[in-house]
Amino acid sequence: MPRRSSLPVTFVVPTLVVLLILSMVPTLYAIVIALQNRELSSTAYSYVWFSNFVDLFFDRRFLNAVWVSVKWEVVTVVATMAVAIGLGVLMFEVASPRLRNIYCLLFIIPVLLPRVSAAFVWKFAYHPLYGIATYPYRLLTGGLIFDPLSKPATALFAVASVDVWQWGLFFAVIVLKLLETLPPQPIEAARLDHARRWQIHAYVTLPMLKAPLISLMFVKMIESLRSFDLIYVMTRGGPGVATETLDMYAFSQGFIESGKVSYASAMAVLMMIATVITFTMLWKRVQA
Amino acid sequence: MKLGRLIGKAVLAFAGFMAVFPLLWTALNSLKNNVDIITRVPRVVFTPTLANISYIIGRDSVMTGLYNSVIACGVAVLIGVVLGLPAAYAVARYPNRWAGDIQFFVLSLRFLPPVAVAIPLMVIWLQLGLYDTLAALIVTYSLLTISVIMWLAIPAFQAVPKEVEEAAFVDGYGAYSVFWRIALPVAARSLIGAVAFSFVLVWNEFLIALMLSSSNAKTLPIVASELSQQGMNVPWGILNASVVLLSLPPLLFLGVLSGFLNSVFRQKKT
Repeated sequence: MPRRSSLPVTFVVPTLVVLLILSMVPTLYAIVIALQNRELSSTAYSYVWFSNFVDLFFDRRFLNAVWVSVKWEVVTVVATMAVAIGLGVLMFEVASPRLRNIYCLLFIIPVLLPRVSAAFVWKFAYHPLYGIATYPYRLLTGGLIFDPLSKPATALFAVASVDVWQWGLFFAVIVLKLLETLPPQPIEAARLDHARRWQIHAYVTLPMLKAPLISLMFVKMIESLRSFDLIYVMTRGGPGVATETLDMYAFSQGFIESGKVSYASAMAVLMMIATVITFTMLWKRVQA
Repeated sequence: MKLGRLIGKAVLAFAGFMAVFPLLWTALNSLKNNVDIITRVPRVVFTPTLANISYIIGRDSVMTGLYNSVIACGVAVLIGVVLGLPAAYAVARYPNRWAGDIQFFVLSLRFLPPVAVAIPLMVIWLQLGLYDTLAALIVTYSLLTISVIMWLAIPAFQAVPKEVEEAAFVDGYGAYSVFWRIALPVAARSLIGAVAFSFVLVWNEFLIALMLSSSNAKTLPIVASELSQQGMNVPWGILNASVVLLSLPPLLFLGVLSGFLNSVFRQKKT
């Protein structure tokens, strides 16, 4: 590499300036809006400072949304990783190289779909009377009705299943590729010691992949924050507030129900602070 | 042991079936008349109709949505390529003490909740008189495409053997022509994967498009979701057809993206 070249400066600086402007302007402006009392219906506004934030802490729907978001995050991340590791190991164990390639192609398809498409596909499938996914239940019970999307107890899991359908299958492919990069010697050694197949994976291969698996989980945690499309199409936060996550609640406060843009922005700012702090800390730990 | 393998194979086959069947079923439904969809027992045998598909293709709102999606995503990806690839190359090949921070900054853009970006941008675009225009959408999407392309292209450039580039320097190439004539072509395969990924990401984007458009700049996902808001009044076949139309473009990249995955993990092995 030549020591003196203008290349790094000409290549990096314009891009960074654009990225900084595009990200900092909305971020800072979000904070400014959160300190005001803007509404969609009028152009007049004034500064109310922290009163939006104070209101939030007494808003039971907001606290519910926090709780739903946490549940969503935990359910989707855990289920995705479980599906990914389970199917990845299975492919590694029982599928021939040709079959592996076919499964890899099939498993990538769901994640490529727009979330809106995936949500529709499953909304149809979960329809209590005509859905293909509820058909086996109707068949077995002689026509009883099961409506997973309109029961508070099951709605979140029904929507989460779509997220896992998209990401779990995709991550299974990555887990398989990771397993394929491992050197064969430790596995051979364990086999010679008469370890069972599942023991080999539980005690040898998966611990060897600890670092990439944690990175994978990190990626899923970030992507799980983007639940809005699925929930918007499938349940709109309902039944009641059973699937109302923070972004859904912010959206409906800001644009559907009351047009309280500042209130919604205050919520978004809190989300932003929470995620940036959490993920920065996690990232530093993953890198260390 | 034998039984275990058999069960394993069955589970895998079931998962493979689950991966594609719902989508295939949707595609099948898009060829059905409403009476064949609204049945308690799913119908596999029916008289196919192209009415749904031709209805979708004939609708102005759908075609406008398709046009908006193609332009907004296409231009945003182009901007992402122009600004993202050179920056990624510089970070990969001329590391300085900020390289780690730059990489983290680019990744951290992904932590920002979309609502937190969309609300202020809506107010900003309204004040600038650009609300509900493709220009506003393109600028907003550029943030996504630049950061994602940069993030994925840094390792792709790092994977180019250093010796190749050094040999070019010895031959008298300048820094810029090494980038153009050596690094870009050698890393092309992975870079195409990164670019395709960024396209799929913005094509599938929903929340920002929903908040930044009201009539003129609606993208295809928004149009599709609006069809469904009319509930059962819209024949299901038409909805299914719109879902199929929306899903086709990302699926065109299936081959490119799975090749990209393979190349990423082959690099790790060596």
